Amino acid sequence: MSSIPLEWYLMLAAVLFAIGAFGAFSRRNAVAILMGIELMLNAVNINLVAFWRYVEPQGLEGLMFAIFSITVAAAEAAVALALVLALYRTRDTINVEEIDLLKW
Amino acid sequence: MNPYIAIGLLLLLSTGLALIIVLLGAVLGPNNPNERKLEPYESGMVPVGEAMQRLPIRFYLIATLFIVFDIEVIFLFPWALIFRKLGIFGLVEMAVFLLILLVGYIYIWQKGALEWD
Amino acid sequence: MNTNVDWLQRSLAIGPELLLMLGGLVVLLVDMWLADDDHPLLPGLTGLFMVGALIWSFVPFIPGMGITPGTIYGMFALDNLTIFFRVFVLTSSLLVLALTTVYIKGRTEQTGEFYSLLLFITLSVILASAANNLIMIYLAFEFLSLTSYIMVGWLRDDVRSNEAAMKYLLYGAISSAVMLYGMSLLYGATGSTNIAEIAAVFANPRTEIVGIFNLGITAAVLMMVGFGFKVALVPFHQWSPDAYEGAPTPVTTFLSVGPKAAGFAIMIRVLTGALGAQTESWQAMLSAVAILTMVVGNLTALAQTDMKRLLAYSSIAQAGYILMGLVANNPADNFGIRAVLVYLLAYLFTNIGLFVSVIGFEQATGSTTIDDYRGLIRRSPFHAMAMVIFFLSLLGIPPTAGFLGKFLVFGAVINAELYFLAVVGMLTSVISAYYYLNVVRVMFFQGDEEDRPLRFAFPLQAVLVITLVGTLLMNLYPTPFLNLIGEPTNLVTQLFGQLPF
Repeated sequence: MSSIPLEWYLMLAAVLFAIGAFGAFSRRNAVAILMGIELMLNAVNINLVAFWRYVEPQGLEGLMFAIFSITVAAAEAAVALALVLALYRTRDTINVEEIDLLKW
Repeated sequence: MNPYIAIGLLLLLSTGLALIIVLLGAVLGPNNPNERKLEPYESGMVPVGEAMQRLPIRFYLIATLFIVFDIEVIFLFPWALIFRKLGIFGLVEMAVFLLILLVGYIYIWQKGALEWD
Repeated sequence: MNTNVDWLQRSLAIGPELLLMLGGLVVLLVDMWLADDDHPLLPGLTGLFMVGALIWSFVPFIPGMGITPGTIYGMFALDNLTIFFRVFVLTSSLLVLALTTVYIKGRTEQTGEFYSLLLFITLSVILASAANNLIMIYLAFEFLSLTSYIMVGWLRDDVRSNEAAMKYLLYGAISSAVMLYGMSLLYGATGSTNIAEIAAVFANPRTEIVGIFNLGITAAVLMMVGFGFKVALVPFHQWSPDAYEGAPTPVTTFLSVGPKAAGFAIMIRVLTGALGAQTESWQAMLSAVAILTMVVGNLTALAQTDMKRLLAYSSIAQAGYILMGLVANNPADNFGIRAVLVYLLAYLFTNIGLFVSVIGFEQATGSTTIDDYRGLIRRSPFHAMAMVIFFLSLLGIPPTAGFLGKFLVFGAVINAELYFLAVVGMLTSVISAYYYLNVVRVMFFQGDEEDRPLRFAFPLQAVLVITLVGTLLMNLYPTPFLNLIGEPTNLVTQLFGQLPF
């Protein structure tokens, strides 16, 4: 059976990761930045599962790593959204360019 | 045979079918629009207010809590699969995990995060 | 072998961690039950759990109770490094707890949650320093990050606290995603997440995977983004001055010690453990990072006018010195790692001592600006003298703990024949003298309009005395610390076995 080679998955993950990183670095809205970060984390999950399937299919470490990273991402999103809300209440903005009280 | 040929065929078939159905509907069906029909679909009811309005902050709170508790429960599935292999140790571990979740649940409950008003 | 008894024994071996977790939950529940936010039961319980965990950490030193070094299911390493960091972080959390009781009154209503998180963050540092598996490292790392974001943003109605937390979170989330990508590559290269197994694969590479070594180096570079963020190494340091300034000061105190310890512990385990075969590659990278960190940290500190920001940049620079020890480590005798540990211990006493002074001053005057420290020698002579000693310690001048730390780190660097690194370290130390002594100049030789004496709350004075004694004792009675160099085995007994406490 001819199957999709591992490299393709890695390429997909790398491209997704780069798109996520670009989003995280280029957006000005805090929530949009968080979405970019989520994309980066999901790219890693593709990596982990692909490596599990091709390198070490008899172990379960890659799968478990992916599950843990999903849950951590959820917890991170919860904390981040809570902070965004707190910030919005005191500053009336979530544009990261306007969050500039602390510098140098 | 290359497995991608099948995928390509499926892609062609499904796109074609969707196109045919939409086109047939547009050509054969009667077409008499009115104002209500052209509005965005909202469960067949007449839409109330704008879609892009501010929502009460409580929605966000509930949504955040839902994300956390919903995703944490994911661990029960792999645990249940190999439960017999883990034995008493696995049971104790999961009990500890659920205890932590329970304390969190009691906490948000007591703090009134689950009350709507 | 009876496996039931086996896991019970293993659970007892991680008693301090279980106690901290239980403590966090209990304090949270007790806080719900108490109506009064300032009830002394909350810090009391917190302290009790910490002291209990600290005492339990010493159990391995009782003859016959010694643990055999090993791991728990390959996840949690039980060795001298773990025990060192247990004692290290519990000591610092106890000191921070004393500061918190004074600082938190009237500033927030969520006191119980704060104490609970203090217990959890302590736990997360221990877990991070004991993690022996990439999954465990990632989880502990994120546990530590998430709790610190919340603690930095604790003052919900304070604009600066919110902003600091948001910046910390955005930097942290991005760098941890990059680190995770590196970890996935390491897993892909070796097919394992266990540190010992990864090292074994690199020592004896399987032939079917080509370029496995290069993948290891790529992974090391990507993971360094995360580790560098945690210990605030240049160029991943931008969050730290903002987070230090905006956070409640006791949290800043903990941030300057706890996460740094965790970050260095993870670096020691991953770099010297899993990536031992690529030592030359990561050593070159780390020495460049160390040079950048020392230069940028010290030069930027020169321009600071706020005390908390000054200490933030100073702690960035200090991380550069600590990193030198890791760069210069020789796997044969681990001299560099031991120098790192001694330096961290010296840094613990010195930095917490300095932050106590900052908190005391903030409580009395409401200011953290350096200019407001003028004339401090007349307003509170003991306080000012203590600060001088702490600054000398950060500079590395005897008779202070910092001298011992710097002496060992530079010794390791010169042993490794990294002369350029040593020269940069020396030169930047001279630069740091300028801004440390500038504060001393302000305290001693400026201002006379304000002469009212400053009063310190009792817990602050107690912590000040403890850290002062610690700072001086490490240099005046250095035998147990210097023994570290001669005896590579049983590191922690050497460190704590002979100290009279």
